[in-house]
Amino acid sequence: MDHANDDIARALMPSAHTLRERQNLLFQFWRFLALNLRFVTMIFKGEH
Amino acid sequence: MARVVVLGAGISGHTAALHLRRRLAKEHEVVVVTPNSKWNWIPSNIWVGVGNMRTDQVTFPLAPVYRRKGIVFHQALATELHPEGSPDLAAPHVTVRYTDPRREGEVAQLTYDYLINATGPKLNFAATPGLGPDANTVSVCTPQHAVHASEELAKVIATLRQGVRQRLVVGVGHGTCTCEGAAFEYAFNVEHELRTAGVRDLAEVVYLTNEYELGDFGVGGMVFHQGGEETTSKYWTESLFRERDVRAIVQAHVEKVEPGVIHYEQLDGSRNTLTFDFAMLLPPFRGVDLTAFDAQGRDITSEMFAPNGFMKVDANYASPVYEDWSAADWPSTYESPRYPNVFGVGIAFAPPHQISTPRTSPNGTLITPAPPRTGMPSGVMGKTVALTIVDRITTGTATAARRASMADMGAACVASAGTGLRRGTAASMTMYPVVPDYARFPGSGRSDKDTFGEIGLAGHWTKYMLHVLFMYKAMARPGWHLIPE
Ligand SMILES: Cc1cc2nc3c(=O)[nH]c(=O)nc-3n(C[C@H](O)[C@H](O)[C@H](O)COP(=O)(O)OP(=O)(O)OC[C@H]3O[C@@H](n4cnc5c(N)ncnc54)[C@H](O)[C@@H]3O)c2cc1C
Repeated sequence: MDHANDDIARALMPSAHTLRERQNLLFQFWRFLALNLRFVTMIFKGEH
Repeated sequence: MARVVVLGAGISGHTAALHLRRRLAKEHEVVVVTPNSKWNWIPSNIWVGVGNMRTDQVTFPLAPVYRRKGIVFHQALATELHPEGSPDLAAPHVTVRYTDPRREGEVAQLTYDYLINATGPKLNFAATPGLGPDANTVSVCTPQHAVHASEELAKVIATLRQGVRQRLVVGVGHGTCTCEGAAFEYAFNVEHELRTAGVRDLAEVVYLTNEYELGDFGVGGMVFHQGGEETTSKYWTESLFRERDVRAIVQAHVEKVEPGVIHYEQLDGSRNTLTFDFAMLLPPFRGVDLTAFDAQGRDITSEMFAPNGFMKVDANYASPVYEDWSAADWPSTYESPRYPNVFGVGIAFAPPHQISTPRTSPNGTLITPAPPRTGMPSGVMGKTVALTIVDRITTGTATAARRASMADMGAACVASAGTGLRRGTAASMTMYPVVPDYARFPGSGRSDKDTFGEIGLAGHWTKYMLHVLFMYKAMARPGWHLIPE
């Protein structure tokens, strides 16, 4: 036995606002740029 | 003239071969030995597995690319390494058996000056009785497996449409599996498909994993800092499970699978069963069955390879106790300690130890994810080793090897959680470094600034973009080398 499903039941439920934001085209376009900037930074960190 | 032989045209080997060919003068030969005629962008097999992509969208034939680039291609399986030569052939060589239909079964010996072992994993379904597409579960590890998985999923959706409840189990099929990220990704893609098909209410989706807790992903979990707050990949992942109503069973080692029933043991020693109508369980990995011999023909496989079949490289394999493990144990040059002209990259190298804390059940069963060696680190290793070899060939001296340790390398992971340009979503994570370094980053072992998680449509766009970019890069189209690994 484990407690994974109890933990899931207690987990934070994203608010309606967060869920809308996660699919909002304008907001997500901005997140797309931010995300890819993070990835590029990550790549260069590993390069020596 | 030097000859570099690359075994395996997966992410690491193909990357190495393309960089070698680009940087080495034409007089030097780059040879690739791989059993499949096609290259596969494995991460997108997830989408094939839910019927959202065709196999021809995730594969392409290697021969025309290698012809165009001037790389010698043998569609064959490497079987033996002779790094000191053999009584019959003095030069170091590999024995290969052709899978090319025109030469099927033929055996040949290929001599080399440098050898890269990039043979990836053997999909070890045999480790769990009843596991795998030839038995009772499906897989998404190859395009063919993924097509089979999508067909089985379609049948379950058809049954659901008739109003019959179904249980779909997605996860890993052994206590020592790796690639939990891929299983997680497939679970949420399946969940998304069920919703899209309008049958979600009748379906129970269960994620079955060997992780100690959700969000471990085989890297011991992550600590995220966002919006001025600290959270963990556990809480973050659990929130997604709650939102999407996916159940989870953690700390599980699948002992066997019978038709419609999974038997598993958990860390507390309990033995349980779970019935299913559809199960996609990834197999554990081991090294492919390469054997090695010295100049006299003595079998040195156990000296070159770890017991799990992966190749020993410049790692510290001498720290058996968890308390003694350190980031410095991880390899950085991927050179064989015995033969400096032989390298092991990607999944083919033997990791010194797990990244997640190892745990054993009271029955003595190890239930801990093996360390993931995902696409980005595998590509970086392939390129790093290619550059080391180029340095040595062009200078004619044994220059110091280039370095790229997973303890000094970040990884970006985008786990798709449903497709669609407007309706898709993904859980995107970055971590730096992959192997926690508690000396450099006291606390979590990773950089706060660079370890991060986010869920949303942007992740789906990124995942799709990566699909397009990596297919382009692997096809060696103009400017391919400008796309990072
Ligand atoms: C379903 C799935 C989804 C994944 N999703 C992601 C993801 O989203 N992001 C990510 O970063 N990683 C992902 N991964 C992991 C990623 O696929 C691996 O990290 C990567 O493929 C490892 O590269 P590799 O070159 O070591 O091995 P592979 O890509 O497996 O290549 C090994 C090659 O060696 C060949 N070979 C095997 N035996 C021999 C032999 N005896 N002689 C010669 N050649 C041989 C094989 O045919 C193959 O071509 C996923 C894995 C799976 C299974």
